[in-house]
Amino acid sequence: MATNHETSGHEPNFYEVKRGLKSWLYTLDHKRIGLMYLWGILGSLLLGGAFALLVRIELFSPGQDIVGQDRYNQFFTLHGAVMVFLVIVPGIPAALGNMIMPIQLGAPDVAFPKLNLTSFYFWCIGATLLLVSIAMGAVDTGWTFYTPYSLQTPTAVLPAVMGVFVLGFSSIFTGLNFLVTVHKFRPQGMGWFQLPLNVWALYATAIMQILATPVLGITVLLLFVETFMKIGIFDPQLGGDPVLFQHFFWFYSHPAVYIMIIPGMGVISELMTTFSRKPVFGYRFIAYSSVSLALLSFLVWGHHMFVSGQSRLATMVFSALTFTVGIPSAIKVFNWTATLYKGDIRLKTPMLYALSFLLLFTIGGLTGLFLGILAVDVHLHDTYFVVAHFHYVMMGSTLVAFLGGLHYWWPKISGRMYPERLGQLCAVGVFFGFNLTFLPQFVMGSRGMPRRYWDYDPEFTIFHQLSTVGAFVLGISLFVVVCYTLWSAKNGPRATVNPWGATTLEWQAPTPPTLYNFETPPELHELYNYDDLEQVADVEWVRVSKPEGADAVAKSSADH
Amino acid sequence: MSQSHDHDGHGHGHGSRFIQHHYDDAQHQFDSGKLGIWLFLAQEILFFSALFVAYILYRSHRPEIYAYAHYYLDVKFGAINTAVLIASSLTAAWAVRCAQLGQRRGLILNLSLTLLCAFAFLGIKYVEYSHKIHEGILYGAKFDPCVSSGGSPLVTKRNHCDGTKSSVVWDKLAAKASEGCLESAKIDQDASTPGLQAKCVVTELRRNGAAFEPTGKTFDECAASALLGHGKAKDVKYPCYTLSLQPAVCPKGPAALVLYGDHTKRPDVGIKVECEPSPPAKEADPFAEAAGPAPLGTRALTGVEPPTKHELNERFAAGPPPPNTNMFFSIYFAMTGLHGIHVLAGVVVFLWLLFRAIRGDFTPDYFGPVDYAALYWHIVDLIWIFLFPLLYLIH
Repeated sequence: MATNHETSGHEPNFYEVKRGLKSWLYTLDHKRIGLMYLWGILGSLLLGGAFALLVRIELFSPGQDIVGQDRYNQFFTLHGAVMVFLVIVPGIPAALGNMIMPIQLGAPDVAFPKLNLTSFYFWCIGATLLLVSIAMGAVDTGWTFYTPYSLQTPTAVLPAVMGVFVLGFSSIFTGLNFLVTVHKFRPQGMGWFQLPLNVWALYATAIMQILATPVLGITVLLLFVETFMKIGIFDPQLGGDPVLFQHFFWFYSHPAVYIMIIPGMGVISELMTTFSRKPVFGYRFIAYSSVSLALLSFLVWGHHMFVSGQSRLATMVFSALTFTVGIPSAIKVFNWTATLYKGDIRLKTPMLYALSFLLLFTIGGLTGLFLGILAVDVHLHDTYFVVAHFHYVMMGSTLVAFLGGLHYWWPKISGRMYPERLGQLCAVGVFFGFNLTFLPQFVMGSRGMPRRYWDYDPEFTIFHQLSTVGAFVLGISLFVVVCYTLWSAKNGPRATVNPWGATTLEWQAPTPPTLYNFETPPELHELYNYDDLEQVADVEWVRVSKPEGADAVAKSSADH
Repeated sequence: MSQSHDHDGHGHGHGSRFIQHHYDDAQHQFDSGKLGIWLFLAQEILFFSALFVAYILYRSHRPEIYAYAHYYLDVKFGAINTAVLIASSLTAAWAVRCAQLGQRRGLILNLSLTLLCAFAFLGIKYVEYSHKIHEGILYGAKFDPCVSSGGSPLVTKRNHCDGTKSSVVWDKLAAKASEGCLESAKIDQDASTPGLQAKCVVTELRRNGAAFEPTGKTFDECAASALLGHGKAKDVKYPCYTLSLQPAVCPKGPAALVLYGDHTKRPDVGIKVECEPSPPAKEADPFAEAAGPAPLGTRALTGVEPPTKHELNERFAAGPPPPNTNMFFSIYFAMTGLHGIHVLAGVVVFLWLLFRAIRGDFTPDYFGPVDYAALYWHIVDLIWIFLFPLLYLIH
């Protein structure tokens, strides 16, 4: 590799190794691919956010405010499709995971760098296809593409569906890559239970990406074939079963919820322990709960279809299984809380996001139990209660974790600090804006306001207006975050090697890392043991003494 | 992760120039690739799973569709293709062994044989597909077969069975022949419907301008055959015309559908049919109206034994397709089509491997791609081994 910047004995960092647009487009470096994902995802976040704000403006008062009903249907569909497929699903694994996970393993790269770049270009193709569908008059089916409406609507379902298909394979390849990387690229001495919890979470996510996403792939492929070849598998006129589409769709899309949330949980585990200056409480429980969530996620898809005409037995079984998901989720929440207990809590921006996560995820998770109860779900199904519930999980949890992780790792990956005060302000803005947006939706949902409606009874006006105001607080906060992140990439103060005093391996790599991440092989210390780290400046920590005996190294796992 | 200890000469101790920089050694790269391909295969199984689920679901809901439709498939072709694919799996595995042992000629030979089998498979599939396209045995809305699965001719919606037969509808109320009700979902091909089969008089029609007009000439089967230019009756592939199994109910009222010889050769010739509705086939079963299971003793009262499953299948195969038979072919084409795409992808991969094998890329240190491609090929083979009985061997 080119080493023409090698001047002072230090290897050039991964930005300096090669420059120019071409060096980015053809790069096989996981950090550069992760960064390209990051910019794409932040751009999509603004796009999806813009659609959300348009929806909220339209709902400010009953009747038409800015657009008619058909346009409104397109707005919420595009908001959902862009946010789910372009932002939340790839957000943490493909952007943050790509940048950080190999370094956390002390590895030079992911197992298959070319496949990694392929994944990124698949993401680009999928995003382009979604944009094409917007240009062709947008889709109005909702992000779920339910048949038979998606077969009948004159809007641009074909490019959107193809986009989702390609994005699915982007996700599968990322998962495959990460899973092999975790298995084959752990350094000597790092056993399964010395893996950072973030890696455990990405590992669990990868399992779901590989096993669930192909079902989405074949489902949207069938929908695609259905649309222009009239194959009839989901078309009741030809003897097909539209509910089968819902089964297939949710067989992916329920695990997809965990593809979205589990990486967020991994990030939060890292943040909780680092900013509490305490070993994470119940490491093995958190690790196992990630994997058990991943497995349970395959058994509960039917709870999206309680009123779709499933058999009564299936409905009851799915309801019962749905409650089991509460167990590993609660294990995590309790362990994070116990990690905070008597901790030396530092309220840096990432920690503010982590604490927001704890509260918002708890609300989102518990309201999920309401919806898992059959009798309650019949009333709450397709109301704003559901909208609020899944926004608490997908946005209040996953996006907040993404933002926390972004602030946490941004110094490492960019070499620059973000503006701390502004960051804290925005974190608070996100928290309050989010709650103002979605708490009223729980209330109006439980009073019967259906989701996806363009018009509503005047009695719901106050809730919709609170929600719209909250959405703007949230939107402005997120916009400022994206702006200062871009700004700080060039102009922020230089970051130190270990600004947060964290123990995982990425904080031993140079800031920013070199092409193969480490100049010298990283030393393995006991994970999440903060005793040997000392704060020498506001955002600089150093390791003061080596641990007695290399007990961490001695715990080398036998599986290699 | 096993550290490489042989830092002798090859930079990173890599035996082959194809060992990438971020791997410790050849073994590390091979193991990573192997795990990767296994995960990819898991993904493939899940990718196909939805189609298998759809198969199971529709078969359990509508078993008669499957019982009827599988007669359309030729077990002979399916069996040959199964044998071909199993043979190709053997040569693929053999190719891996050759690559491991560094036997370049054996590798090239086995890769070529695998490719040959893949092409044979695709060729046979092409023959099967083109026959089905020709006969209108297609998926979804395009399902419009020229013959029943038992081989008897059927009235088709689009009148597309050139050179074999065609159809004309005589609308009794409008008193003219038309093709107007030959549209999707408007033809009742159910032979068990009483009403139109009896007492039909067939007369010749001539097209005069746009419409057919009767000439008043009555003719029998052989006369029709001669009239339609076939010369001798034995040359006719299908009956000149049939009435008994092909009643049609047009939205406007009763009509008769008549099949006869080569319509395209004599487009000006038609057949007029005048039919009196037949009486109901038998006295109505007094218990037929009762909802739910028949009361005890019904069978003894009526004295009718229910037909066996085998008899039902035989009867179905001779008659027109049960409603929604298109679903079988939707699933058939989805499954075999997706499988065929995988075979095509395999062909591309094996061509690439053949190119690299001839170039001499593979050594006992570096044979991963051959191994991975062979694993992929085995899964493609395995999926076919499930498809063959599920689609061809239904009883």
